Amino acid sequence: MQLDNLEREYMCPGHVGCPGCGAAIAMRFVLKALGEKTIMIIPACCWSIIAGPYPQSTLKIPVLHTAFETGGAVASGVRAAEDIKGDSETTVVTWAGDGGTFDIGFQALSGAVERNENFIYFCYDNEAYMNTGVQRSSSTPYGAWTTTTPGQQWKRLRKKNIVEALVAHRIAYAATASIAFPEDLIRKVTKAKSITGARFIHIFSSCPTGWGMPSEMSIKIARMAVQTNIFPLYEVEEGIRYTINFTPKGYLVNEYFRLQGRFKHLNEKDLAHIQEMVDEDWNLLLRKAGSRPEIS
Amino acid sequence: MASQQPLTTRSPLIIPCSYLTTEGNKTGSWRFLRPQYEEKTSPCSSACPSGEDIARIQMLTAQGSFKEAWETILMENPFPGVCGRVCYHPCELQCNRREFDETIAIHTIERFLADTASRYELKFGLDKLPEKKQKVAVIGSGPSGLAAAYFLALLGYQSDVFEALPEPGGVLRWGIPHYRLPPNILNEEVSRLQDFGVRIHCSKPVSRKFLKEAKNNYDAIFLGCGHSQSLPLSIPGEDLPGVKNGLDFLKKIRRGDIPALRGTVAVIGGGNTAIDAARSAVRLGSKVILVYRRRQQDMPAFAEEVEMALEEGIEIRELETPVEIESQKKDLVVTLQKMRVAQEDPQGRARIKPEGKKRKKIRVQHLLIAVGSSAAEDWYDLPGKKRGVIKLNNCVLVHRSREPALVYGGDLTASIKSVVHAVASGKEAAMALDVLFREGPGTIESTLKACLVGIGPSLSMEIYLGGPRVKRSHSIVSYDNLNTDYFRFAPAISQPRLLREERLQSFAEINLKIGASLAIRESERCFNCGICNQCDNCQLFCPEIAVIRDQNPQGRHINYEYCKGCGLCVVECPRNAMALEEERS
Repeated sequence: MQLDNLEREYMCPGHVGCPGCGAAIAMRFVLKALGEKTIMIIPACCWSIIAGPYPQSTLKIPVLHTAFETGGAVASGVRAAEDIKGDSETTVVTWAGDGGTFDIGFQALSGAVERNENFIYFCYDNEAYMNTGVQRSSSTPYGAWTTTTPGQQWKRLRKKNIVEALVAHRIAYAATASIAFPEDLIRKVTKAKSITGARFIHIFSSCPTGWGMPSEMSIKIARMAVQTNIFPLYEVEEGIRYTINFTPKGYLVNEYFRLQGRFKHLNEKDLAHIQEMVDEDWNLLLRKAGSRPEIS
Repeated sequence: MASQQPLTTRSPLIIPCSYLTTEGNKTGSWRFLRPQYEEKTSPCSSACPSGEDIARIQMLTAQGSFKEAWETILMENPFPGVCGRVCYHPCELQCNRREFDETIAIHTIERFLADTASRYELKFGLDKLPEKKQKVAVIGSGPSGLAAAYFLALLGYQSDVFEALPEPGGVLRWGIPHYRLPPNILNEEVSRLQDFGVRIHCSKPVSRKFLKEAKNNYDAIFLGCGHSQSLPLSIPGEDLPGVKNGLDFLKKIRRGDIPALRGTVAVIGGGNTAIDAARSAVRLGSKVILVYRRRQQDMPAFAEEVEMALEEGIEIRELETPVEIESQKKDLVVTLQKMRVAQEDPQGRARIKPEGKKRKKIRVQHLLIAVGSSAAEDWYDLPGKKRGVIKLNNCVLVHRSREPALVYGGDLTASIKSVVHAVASGKEAAMALDVLFREGPGTIESTLKACLVGIGPSLSMEIYLGGPRVKRSHSIVSYDNLNTDYFRFAPAISQPRLLREERLQSFAEINLKIGASLAIRESERCFNCGICNQCDNCQLFCPEIAVIRDQNPQGRHINYEYCKGCGLCVVECPRNAMALEEERS
C-alpha cells in the first residue's frame, strides 16, 4: 500500500479502547489524512472515553469534548471563531458515534448542513450505543440483538440511511468509508478536506465487544460488509453526483451474519429477508448512480 | 464575517492541546494472546525435492532482484538452468494458488532467472566455508555427482569428479534430448561449477580396483554413476538388426551421429527415456508407435511430456506388450500381447495380466527398447542392512573404520528417478559427509533431521549453514491460513512454445524465453506463503499503534507494552507470516 501520508501518526498508544476497536482504527486513518492543523469536536460517544481522562489525551490535536446533541452546533461555532481569527488553514471536524449522529445529534447536524457550515462531520458507526452498554440506535441494523432489543425482541426495523438523509440537504460532499479499505478512506478524507462547505463521512467501524465477535475479526467483518453490499462504498458530490467506489463480488450476506453473536438468533428465513432488503437497497443505489457503477 | 478585521494574521490554535499523552497507560497488561512474527514454510518449497526457497525466490523476482533470486536457488540447487527446463516441478502441484485460480509457473521463473544470469554473465556470491583437510572422490558427473561436488566445495571440501565419458553431465548430456535441454545451457552450468572449484576428470572410468586404492587419497567416495545399462525385453528376436535400445539411440543423437530413420519406429516402454526416444525419432522423420504394457495414466514419464508427444503425432498403444520379434525381408514384425487391468495398487497404478491369447502383429522398420535401466556394474549395487550402513532419504552412507566412507547416491538410491532428486541426493550426501567428518556417524541422522524443509523429506543447505531460513517454522502454510482478500484473480502466464510444425523439423528448444516484465508479473501472483514481503498490513491496521518500524531484518517489531493482543495483525497478514499464541505469564 503506497500512500505518502500514511506515515504520519497523530494518535498515541495507551488509549483505552477495547482490543480490536474499529473506531480507534478509523481515527488513526482519518488523522493521517487530516494532518495536525485540525480541531476536533467529540460529542458523547465511545471516543469520549478512548481519548483518555483529562489531562491525558491520546490525540496529538486539540479536542473539545462536548454534550451529546451538539456535534453540529459546536463545530459551527468553532468554525466561526476560526474565521474571525483569520485561520483558514485549520480544519474543523466533528467526530461522533452513530447515536450522536443518527439520533441525539441529528437536529444540530441537519441545521449545520442546511447552513452549509464549513466543516467535516465524521460519523464512526458501530451500530448501537456501545459506550453505555449496547443500546439500540436508529443505526442498529435489522435483525440485531442489543440490550434494548434482547432475545426474541431483536430489532425488526431497518437501519436509517443517514447518507441519503444528508444528500437530501444537498450537502457539498457525502461519502461512506470502511476501516477495511484504508486507501479509499484516506482518499475520501483528503478529498473532503479540499472541499469548502459541509461535508459528511460515514465510517463503518466494527465493534468486537458489542457485536459478539472475536477481536481479530474486526477488519474482516468490515470488509465483508462491503463485499456483501450491506455497506456499499460510494460518494455523492453536491447531493447529485453519485460514484460507487467498490463493485462487490456478489457475496451473500449469510457469512457476514454467521460470524457475529448479535445475529445468532436469525434463521434462514430471516436471512433470506435480509438478503432481499440488501439487494433492494443496492439496486436503488445503482439507479441513483445511473446504474453504471464505476470501478475504482 | 468578511468585513471584520482579523485579530492576528497567524493566530494560534484557539483550543489548547492536552500536554499529557496516554502513553502512561501500559495497556499491554490487558493482553492474554500474544501476536508475533513467525515465518512459516511454503508448501512448494517443501514439495521441491531439493528444498528451494520458492516463496522467497518469487518475492525477490517480483521486486526485480533477479541476482538475489538466482543466488537463492543456487544455495539449494546448482542447476537452475537445467531444472528450470527439465524438472517435472512437483512444487507446482502443491501451490496454494491453484485453489484460488491457477498455480504459479515456478519452473518458468526458475528458467528465466537462469537465463538472465547467463545473459548478464552474473557471478554468484556464495561464500565457501574455510577449507577442510578431507578429500572426496565422486564417481560419475551426472546431476547427483556434480551436486555432491558442488555442495562439498561450498562446505570447504576438495573433491575429484571422475567421468567415464569424454564430456561431463551424465544423463543431462547423453539422455535428455536437445529440444528439452540445449547443450550450451548444460555447458554453462558445468563450467560455473568448475569455476567454483569442482574438478572434473573426463574419460576416466573407475574400476572396482579404484575403490581399493582410493583410501590412500580420499576420505570418502560418492557413487553417483546412475543407471546407464538398459534392461532387456528378454523375448525372442531381441538381437535382430534394427532392434536398438533407447538410451544408446539418444546418446548417438546427442553425439551428433544422427541415424536416418525411415518408415515406422516402435518404441517399447512408458518412461521418460521411451518418450524422449519416441519424440527424437519423430524429429528424424519417422512415424512412431509407442507400445506400453499398462495404461497411459500409469506411465512413469512426466504427464506434460506425454501430452507433448501426443501433440507431435506419436501413437500410443496402451495395454499391449511385445512377445516376439521376427524379421521379414527388411521389416520387423512384432507380436503384441493384449493386456488387461487386473487390479489397481494403492497408488492407483494398474496391475496387469495377459488377456487370454489375444495377439496382434504390427510391421515396423525399427524398434527401440526403453523399458528401464539399471546400474552398469554389480559393485554399484547397494549394500544390505548391516552395521555401518545408514540409509538416508536419497542416499545410503556406509562408514568403515580405516577405509573411506562410501555414499551411494543419484539413481542408485533415489526414490524417484529425476534430475531434482539426483540433486537432492548429492546435497544430502555432502551434508552427511560433513557431519561424519566433523562429529562422526552418530549425529548424522539427527543433524539432517533438523535441516528438513517443513516436514521433509527435502533438505535445505541454508538451514544447515544456519542462514536466515533457520528461523522459519516447520509448519506448512495451507490455503485456509491465507487471507485471500488481498489477492486478485490473475491467470498464469502461458509458456511460449515453438509451433508443432516447427518442432518436428529440428531439435531446437521447444520452450521459448520469457521477458523480465512477464516474469515479474508471474512472480507477483505468488502468495509468498509464510514469508513477510513487508506489505505493512500489521502496522497499518494496529488499533494500538503498537507495531513499530525499525532497522531489524523483519523491518518492524511489536511493542508489547501497549499491544492488547486483539490479533488483527495476525488475521490481516495476507500470507500467514505471523502467529497468535496464548500469553504464557
